[in-house]
Amino acid sequence: MVTLTASGCTSEGAGRTEVIVTGSTTLLPITEVSGEMFSEEHEGTTVLVSGMGSSAGIESVSTGSSDIGTSSRELKENEFELGLVDTPVAYDAIAVIVHPDNPVRDLTTMEVRAIFAGVITNWSQVGGPDLEIGIVNRDEASGTREAFLKIVMDDAQFDRGAVVLPGTGQVRSVIADVKGAVGYISLGFVTDDVRAVAIDGVVPTEETVVSGDYPVQRVLHFFTDGEPEGVAREYIDYVLSPAVQDTIVREAGFIPITAKEGLGG
Amino acid sequence: MAEPGQTPDAGRGTDPSAAASGLKMMSRATYLREALLKNLFLVCAVVAVAAVALIFVFTMARGWEVVKDPGLVAFLGGSEWSATLGRFGIMPLVVGTLAITIGSLVLGAPLAIGTAVFLSEIASPRMRAVVRPAVEMLAGVPSVVYGFFGLVILRPIVAEMTGGMGFGTLTASIILAVMIVPTIATLTEDALGSVPPGIREASYAMGATTWQTIYKVLLPAAKIGIIDATILGMGRAIGETMAVVMVAGNAPQFFKGLGAPIATLTSQIVIDMSYATGTHKTALFGLAIILFLISMGLVALVRALSRLNAKKA
Repeated sequence: MVTLTASGCTSEGAGRTEVIVTGSTTLLPITEVSGEMFSEEHEGTTVLVSGMGSSAGIESVSTGSSDIGTSSRELKENEFELGLVDTPVAYDAIAVIVHPDNPVRDLTTMEVRAIFAGVITNWSQVGGPDLEIGIVNRDEASGTREAFLKIVMDDAQFDRGAVVLPGTGQVRSVIADVKGAVGYISLGFVTDDVRAVAIDGVVPTEETVVSGDYPVQRVLHFFTDGEPEGVAREYIDYVLSPAVQDTIVREAGFIPITAKEGLGG
Repeated sequence: MAEPGQTPDAGRGTDPSAAASGLKMMSRATYLREALLKNLFLVCAVVAVAAVALIFVFTMARGWEVVKDPGLVAFLGGSEWSATLGRFGIMPLVVGTLAITIGSLVLGAPLAIGTAVFLSEIASPRMRAVVRPAVEMLAGVPSVVYGFFGLVILRPIVAEMTGGMGFGTLTASIILAVMIVPTIATLTEDALGSVPPGIREASYAMGATTWQTIYKVLLPAAKIGIIDATILGMGRAIGETMAVVMVAGNAPQFFKGLGAPIATLTSQIVIDMSYATGTHKTALFGLAIILFLISMGLVALVRALSRLNAKKA
């Protein structure tokens, strides 16, 4: 799976090696920075990173066009047969975000579901001011949308009239700007421009995610076609090492995969 | 070939005395160069035509299967576009495209025709030297810049006016209206310019004011050219993608008012294409076929109108 572009030369370190990493845009903060650092530490090795969405990542690793497919969602049933090997690399919580001036601080999962299904349409119905709720949704290629649909929406459908924006940054900036807006983004991308509401009384923080109390969370995956080998294996081990987990993963707002082991979970 | 300006050129590389004595004779080198250029331009034209043909064939080949799955009726008549549910009905997208296109024409066409009248009939040469390049520059602004402007500046203003978040038909129409101004204005100015000066002079000679001349004489005389211009502007509005994706809200629902999010044929292709597989991908190529047919129809309409105009004149 690792693409060797050496020109038949046998001496060590003379060949250039590439690890192609494709997939979830949610994982980009991890893969881009760690890939760059890995390339620097291993001369002649390049980690090529691109973000096209989880589904695209899974498709590209299964067709062999990339070595590692990153995904912010679990495999779907029709993807089980691809024989991909799963390496969890981090935890991610999805925060439901509102405008900072919105007095609503706490919603139940049921309320969030009803809001995004278009059943609850005014903030006064959930203890807020008389203000129309503006739903901001992600496009269907988004792994965050997929995870949110699965974890929060259950069988309910998203309101088809919701604004669809094709990126986390766009969702956040619109919600920071519109008083009645509500949306969802990875906890790692929540800034002071917006407020993450508590779900079922639990505020999304690292502790509540690791402890499992915060309900809207998911695992971020590296998928490989079979057991990872060679440089791809080295890169994955590097991502799982404290050098990446305690720095890059944390700085991106994700929770290290190693954090749960530390709690004995 | 006998134009004096070309004489030195024709003689280059040959015996100077021959060039001097035989102005009307073509040297061998000139003949070859002429033949080469003729064929070069032929190749250019063929490449352009081949590109259109190839795109059409490719789009058709990838998209025709929509007649099998989801089926022509479900595709053309379906009222829901939802990839996750496997529903690919394009009606909401067609309505969305129509709404935004009509909106942009209602706002943009008068603006553009007014600009053209100003440039052609009213502006002083100095004024024209400022306004015309400015209008032409509108055509050169990348659509993502229009979209960004719409998202950051225009959207909050529309949100104040219509309630909601400001994503939707009105915002997209305003942005598109500005984007189609150069197309319509330039072509309308050409149409006004090609009205024979005698007609204009006769009108003024009869004592008509500038406004009367514009309204009663020039605009009717240039009518078909202006309609042509508007149709081409419409083509631009229908095909515009990036700016629309940024401000339309991209909700594939039927038109629910000027301030409600909406999706168009083009915006849906962009939103979906990164992850579409199977029937979904076929359906996206189906959308491309629809867009192709619309644009072919518009070009045919313009050609028919031009022919009508030529016959009249």
